[in-house]
Formats: sequence, C-alpha cells, structure tokens
Amino acid sequence: MKLLLVEDQVELASSIQNYFLKEGDVCEYANSFSAASQKLHGYQYDILILDIMLPDGNGLELLEAVKQNWPQMGVIIISAKNALDDKLKGLDLGADDYLPKPFHLAELNARTKAVFRRRLQKGENSLSLNEIKINLDTHEVLVYDQLLDLTRKEFELLHYFLVNQRRLLTKQAIAEHLWGDYMDTADSFDFVYQHIKNLRKKIVKAGGNDYLETVYGVGYKIKSS
Amino acid sequence: MNLIIRVTLLFVFVSLIVFLIGGVISFRVMMREVNNEQRHFLNERLDRVTRMIERRKPEDTLRMNKLVIVPLNDLMNERKSFRDTLVIHTQLERLEPHLKLDAIKNVAGRSYQVVMYDVIIEPDDIRDGLEESLVKMYLILLGAVIVVGFIVSTYMLRPFNQTLQAIKKFSIKDQESKILFPKTGIAEFKRLNLFLEEMTEKVKSDYQSLKEFSENASHELQTPIAIIQGKLEVLLDLNKLDEDQVNQISSAQHTLNRLKNLSTSLSILTRIENKEFDKVLALDFSSEVEKMLGEFKELIELKSITLTTEIEPGISVEMDDVLCELLLTNLINNAIRHNWENGTIHISLTNDELEITNSGPDLEIDPEELFHRFKKSNQSSASLGLGLAIVQKICDLYACRLEYSQSDKQHSMKVGLNH
Repeated sequence: MKLLLVEDQVELASSIQNYFLKEGDVCEYANSFSAASQKLHGYQYDILILDIMLPDGNGLELLEAVKQNWPQMGVIIISAKNALDDKLKGLDLGADDYLPKPFHLAELNARTKAVFRRRLQKGENSLSLNEIKINLDTHEVLVYDQLLDLTRKEFELLHYFLVNQRRLLTKQAIAEHLWGDYMDTADSFDFVYQHIKNLRKKIVKAGGNDYLETVYGVGYKIKSS
Repeated sequence: MNLIIRVTLLFVFVSLIVFLIGGVISFRVMMREVNNEQRHFLNERLDRVTRMIERRKPEDTLRMNKLVIVPLNDLMNERKSFRDTLVIHTQLERLEPHLKLDAIKNVAGRSYQVVMYDVIIEPDDIRDGLEESLVKMYLILLGAVIVVGFIVSTYMLRPFNQTLQAIKKFSIKDQESKILFPKTGIAEFKRLNLFLEEMTEKVKSDYQSLKEFSENASHELQTPIAIIQGKLEVLLDLNKLDEDQVNQISSAQHTLNRLKNLSTSLSILTRIENKEFDKVLALDFSSEVEKMLGEFKELIELKSITLTTEIEPGISVEMDDVLCELLLTNLINNAIRHNWENGTIHISLTNDELEITNSGPDLEIDPEELFHRFKKSNQSSASLGLGLAIVQKICDLYACRLEYSQSDKQHSMKVGLNH
C-alpha cells in the first residue's frame, strides 16, 4: 500500500510515517499544500491521508483536485477542526473517511486498511491469521473453515486485532474503536476484558489457537509465534 | 412609573407645599403692610388734628366723624397707643373692627386726649382674596406642567426612546451590523449614544476575541495531544520494554485521554454557547431514547444494573440531532456512572418530561452546584464534571426545565420537554 501523508505537524507526521513503515507500507510525507500537489503530480498513491488545515491552503481544495484527477485514490481526512460541517463537507467532496485529531495510530491504520480494501482490492475482501479467516463483506469468521458465532462487537474486536497484527493495542484504543465517543473509557476497560475473554473462548472452542496475549495488564497483542 | 409622570407628580407636590407656605407668608406680609399703612394714616391724621388744635384751641370736647378731642385739665405726658376695637359703622350700621388711636397731645401748654378710629381691612377678606388667586395660579401651573411634561416626553425624550429601541435590537453575536443611534442635539443624549456606541462595539469585539480564544484553545490543544498520543503509541510498540516502562506509558496515555476528553467537552460547551448546533429537526424522541439505551446496554449489564423503562412511543421534539444525542448520552452516562453494582435505573418518558432515576450514593456537594462546570460529587472520581454542565447548556438553549432531586438514595433528573 502506498500512502501520501499531508500533515503540517512534523512530529505527528513522523509518528504516523513510522507506524505505517513498520506495517510494511510505503508512506511519503508532504508538509504543505504545494509540496503535496507536487508529489501528487509526480507519483502514484493508493491512499491520501489529508490534514485540512495547511499553512498554505485549505486541504479541502486538495481533496477536490484529487477527486477530479485521481478518482481511484482513497482519501482519509484527519483534522483537529472538530467541526461537523468540515466533516460533512469532506465526505460530500468524496473523502472516504474522517478522523478527528487526536486519534490512535492503530485506529488510523485500521481505517486506512479498510479504505484500501474497499477501493482497491477487488475480489475477496478478507483477512486471515493462520487458521482464522474473517470475511469483511459478510462479517463471517471461520476457524478451520468452521463458522464462528460472534457478536458484532466481538467481530469488530477480532478485525481490529487482525488489521493491527504485531501491535500492542491498549485497552483504551480498543475501547475507543469499539464504542467511540459514547463510553467513558475508565468504565469500559472491564468491558474490553469481557469481550476479549469471550472472543478467546469462542476461538479456542472451535479448535483455534489462542493468539491473544495480555501485555502487562495494559493491553493486548497477537502473539508473534 | 414613567419618569416624566414621576417628575411631574413631584413638582406638583412640591409646588403645592410652596403655594401653601407662600400663601401664609403673603397673608402675613399683606396684613403687616396694611397695618403699617393704617397706623401711618392715623399718625398723619393726628398731626393734622394737632395743627387744628393749635389753631382752634377747643375748650370743650369735640366729636367729629371718627374723631374725638377731649381737652384735659391736667397737664399730662404725651403718649400714643393703638388698639383694635369694634365701632358702629355709620354706613353699614353694624359693628365693624376698627383700629383705634388713643393719644395725649400737649399743645400750647394744655393736654388733649385725641381718639381716632379707622375701619380695618379684615383678615378674612384678605385671606379670601389670597386663596382665590393662589388656587387659580396653582391650577394654571398644573395645566402648564402637564403640557410641558407631554412636550418633554414626546419631543425631547424622543431620541432617548429611539436609543432604547436601538439597544433592544443589539445582539452580541451579530458581528456585521452596527447599532444606529439617532442624531440628537441634546448634549446628554449625545454623550449617552456615544458611550453606548463605544460600549457595544467593545463588548462585541471582546466577545469575538473570547469566542475565538476558546475555539482556538480547544482546537490548538488537539494537535499537541495527537502528537503526544502518536509518540506514546510508537513507544509502546518497541518490543524491548519491561513491565514498568509499559505501565508508565500507559498511565501517561490515561492522563492524556482525560486531557483529550476535557478539551473536547469544553469545545462542545463553547460550540453550544456559540449556537453552532442550530438545526431544527423534528426528532422522534422516544426512539432516540431507545436507541441510546441500546448503545449503553452493555455497560448497564456490565454493572449488573436493572433497567426499567416507561417510554411513551411517538413523542417528538424539535431540536438539533447532535444536541439530542449529547443530552441523552450525558444523562444516561451519569445515571450509570454514579450508580452501584446491582443498582437500578428507571427511565420514564411522557409528553411533558423525561425522567431518569437511578440509585446511588448520596451527593457530597450542594445539588445547586451539580450543574456547574468541574463540580463533581466525588472530587477524586474519574469523571470530568462537565457532563451535567453540557446538559444544563442544552436545556438553557431550548429553554427546557432541568431539575434534580434525591430521596432515599434515589437520584432523579427531570428534563421538561417543550413542543
């Protein structure tokens, strides 16, 4: 996956870049409207991660240009401007997703992968981890080809883990991914634990391996065996 | 009461007192002048009579009109005294008050008693005349005051009333239009208008900069928070961390998360105040409540809370959908957070109000303060103390009633619905 990150905050950009590079993606970086235009004209990208507030222009104009010239490119808007109309305008102009700052990198990763799959991966839309296979269109999970009966939240949880393999996902990031703004994160940690427990139980019962590893009580990750 | 009416009444009252005192003074002065004049007249007459005595040297008592001259046998000291007395009035033929001059005059070595009368102008007559003229003058004054009051209130106070009308239309949020104050030639109103003009402009610009500040503050915070959050996540992903290091990072993340929620909540409060949520949608409130309870279902179950509902279907409200969601989220979150394990929540929705009752420990703060920012019953709790402030703001915006009551460890939050 080839990404162009347009973000004027160097510090944030380097963290994001670092994250995607570790995922094995190509992530290039432009810190201004003009630099971004140049890169867009010079190279081919799959996904554009776009900050609306740029020092030398409005990111929404860049979005318009992208939609005209490179309609196959996926666009995710990241903005500190938590204004609803910006979100709506962005989505109206054809952005695929909108993520308000601050966000968890794992969340950005999951959303980017989702956009990438939706837009560019024709054919089978699925993720897998050895014997576990999830179908993102039908929301089915198979363990050794045996259908697993998961709740919606358990499916989302498993999906989040599979997108962010090899990553430590904190309870907080998981809670925010599953419940968004509704939940007070402090309350929801027990909750994350419950869901993980149920998910493990269901996978093991179907004969799968328990890949979920607890890391020092802070979060979970998929075992790198 | 109208200023002009008040001033007029005061003036009428004061002038009444002035007229009364003035009347008494006039009466006294007039009486004194009349008296003096009369004595003066009698004195002059006495002089004439003295000269007549010098010429005629009467031997017998002489009686003329209102004049008696009695030659005395002994020589006496000269004296003179005035007295009031009643004398038959020759024309009117009745007793009338007279002033009597009783004098002893020595002329050519002989003493004469001279007695003279003069009819007095009666105090009653003077008083009657005075009263009549004063009452007439007072009535004229009254009429004049009313006419002047009318003129002042309609013509001279017109610019003042126009200024009032102009201020009424003033809105702190209306940045474009300037208040137009009427032109006036009256210095005080000119100053008032000038002052109001400066003040409203100042208030507007202050409000604008305050608004921009709070917008910017909560917005500008998001980027550094995003940077720190990113850095911490990258740090967590290093595979060589020990447990202590991971815990330190995780606790930093927790705190950062609080900061994030804080800035989001403050920004929501600001945006509600700025009336940025101004959509007016007819929402099915009943189903919104049901939907929101669905979102919280897991959390309620996790705390083993028993939820009972009495929701009348099809109740509609007109409000912004985002605010509706914020209102319900905060209320329900509140009822869950300040509840016990195995506690209860009861939600009832009627056409008039939404009532959420939950079990929970007694409040440690004054219920009045419950809706203030950063007030929480338990200061050490993880909550920010902004949820109910947001609820309050939303209710203020829609002019809804918001009441809290507690009895026997049951807390009830009531939101009145306007249709």
